[in-house]
Amino acid sequence: MREEIQRIQQAMEREGYVTDRAVATAVHLSMTLGKPLLVEGHPGVGKTEIAKVLAVMQQGDLIRLQCYEGLDATTALYEWNYPKQLLHIRLQQDGDQSVATREADIFSERFLLKRPLLAAITHQGRPPVLLIDEVDRADEEFEAFLLEVLSDFQVTIPEVGTVRAEARPSVVLTSNRARDLSDALRRRCLYLWIDYPSLEKELRIVRTRIPGIDERLAREVTAFIHSLRRLKLAKVPGVAESLDWARALVVLHATHLDEELVRETLGCFLKDEEDLRTVSARLDAGELPALASPVA
Amino acid sequence: MSAVSADLVEHTARFCRRLRAEGLPLGPGDTLDATRALGSVDLVDREDVRLGLRATLVKRVEDAPLFDALFESFWTGPAPVPRNPPVVPPDADEDSEGPASISPRRRSVHAFQDLEELAIPAPSSREALGRQDFASFGEDELRAVTTLARRIARRLAARPGRRWKLSRRGEQVSLRRTLREALKTGGELSTLTWRRRKLRRTRLVILADVSGSMDLYARLLLQFLYALQNAFARVETFVFATRLSRVTDELRAPGYRDALGNLSDRVQDWSGGTRIGESLSAFLSSWPRLVDRRTVVVVLSDGWETGDPDVLGEALALLHRRAGRLVWLNPLLGSPGYEPLTRGMQAALPHLDVFAPANDLASLEQLARHLSL
Repeated sequence: MREEIQRIQQAMEREGYVTDRAVATAVHLSMTLGKPLLVEGHPGVGKTEIAKVLAVMQQGDLIRLQCYEGLDATTALYEWNYPKQLLHIRLQQDGDQSVATREADIFSERFLLKRPLLAAITHQGRPPVLLIDEVDRADEEFEAFLLEVLSDFQVTIPEVGTVRAEARPSVVLTSNRARDLSDALRRRCLYLWIDYPSLEKELRIVRTRIPGIDERLAREVTAFIHSLRRLKLAKVPGVAESLDWARALVVLHATHLDEELVRETLGCFLKDEEDLRTVSARLDAGELPALASPVA
Repeated sequence: MSAVSADLVEHTARFCRRLRAEGLPLGPGDTLDATRALGSVDLVDREDVRLGLRATLVKRVEDAPLFDALFESFWTGPAPVPRNPPVVPPDADEDSEGPASISPRRRSVHAFQDLEELAIPAPSSREALGRQDFASFGEDELRAVTTLARRIARRLAARPGRRWKLSRRGEQVSLRRTLREALKTGGELSTLTWRRRKLRRTRLVILADVSGSMDLYARLLLQFLYALQNAFARVETFVFATRLSRVTDELRAPGYRDALGNLSDRVQDWSGGTRIGESLSAFLSSWPRLVDRRTVVVVLSDGWETGDPDVLGEALALLHRRAGRLVWLNPLLGSPGYEPLTRGMQAALPHLDVFAPANDLASLEQLARHLSL
């Protein structure tokens, strides 16, 4: 294994992110090739976490753009600070400057509200990490706009001119696959698919993230969640749910799982009423073996 | 980044070509990225090479199994590869043919090739279009359908979108422009400038089944297609039985009779068997740019699939992901007691946004509701 990749993997583990070679290689290449990294996977498998860890590793700021339907340039890129402009005009009222000068004045960078994308481009100091979270929730027009920004990291503001990034930020995009992203966007990025972790890896994640957890409890929790992922559920619990649940159990001073405890805490990892019913029925039927015979 | 030998560059390029031939959407830039990636990993470590290439060349998880299979056969040793390696070992194709691992896009490419071979220009079935069949349309009926098509077109035409433009009578004050104006009056906001949302344009793609089992409804259907095509600019119409034909231009004719004439020249498999899945796959691979989130896709068919229902399921899943809305109109659904139990319909149902009847004018009226996004 290339030394740098190994180092990235170690650095990520140090930051509490249990990872594997595929992730480390993708992150390494994204850094050396200077291309955005598109991370896809089921909800709750730690996609967003990659950007956070990357920011800590590079000692840069994390700038986050949360996408949603209807997101547009004024919330993603920039907006003029109108109240401030208005105040400024009032204050300058009696001055003898020409309209043109005053106009240039209020449409200057001082009056610009930088939204995440512009903030990432104009960021001073160490290049930041730009996290574009859940890009699949933004609409297609926004995706096209994003492509423009990502291809040359420059933005043209009519009143100010073209703003260019001095140091390119590292970009991480995440998607839950709510809709299919365009081939154009995919082509621009390196791609990483994160699947649900194996039993061993998930156990390692639980141990790393919840240091004081009882060994038996950790095993039983991961084994139980794994058996759930084989059922047909509307919202399959991810790693985030395993961690939530394990943390809750630690707070309850549990050292092992029993049926009653599971029933009481189902809400920690099942977020859908139908799923709750499905799993309760399985519990009634004694079909979830992880409880009866804990993994040795 | 370390230098990559010319041999390795060539081998990488060949690998990319092979992946492209299997349907992965790769461009020259990707080959370059792959080569650069190889310069950044440990070339002696096969897993490093695999992961590096995968990060650059696989753009969606569905393509990963295909990539892995081809990687196995293409990158045999840990070290850079001998000159002129066998381009495709014979078993490579079998590997990638595993039913679970085929990506929809790849399959659609194959489906299209099969379709080309299957295309039988049968003069006798051309006759079946029978001008006498369709020519006996009632003027009244056509008028009613035309009115309906206009109504649908109106629904599709104007919808406020996400972008704004300045306008004298708008829905919101454009602060940017208003402030600029206020400069002239010393900060007094004497005139408000308004802005409104740009209209959003919806597109309609119709895929109509004209196979034998649809004969009963063909007349109404064709009238409807004709009327819609001429009432609304952003409609693309395709018909299929065993193969797909684009008939948008044929339908744009001054009169219904002319349109029918054009159609009978263009379409050669009226009243044949039905390969819905393959036709839809062919549509996806030959017209990939037609469908986006602002597109409503309407499939008009009774669901009597003679091809592989799995192909149909996959094509519809892909359509559903790309399109703003996927509507299936089934003429049989109008008859009492009908249940969509055919294998084709069963494969289709999970992927549809709307499943509705289309057996008479009344049901087409209902359709208007489903067509705006």
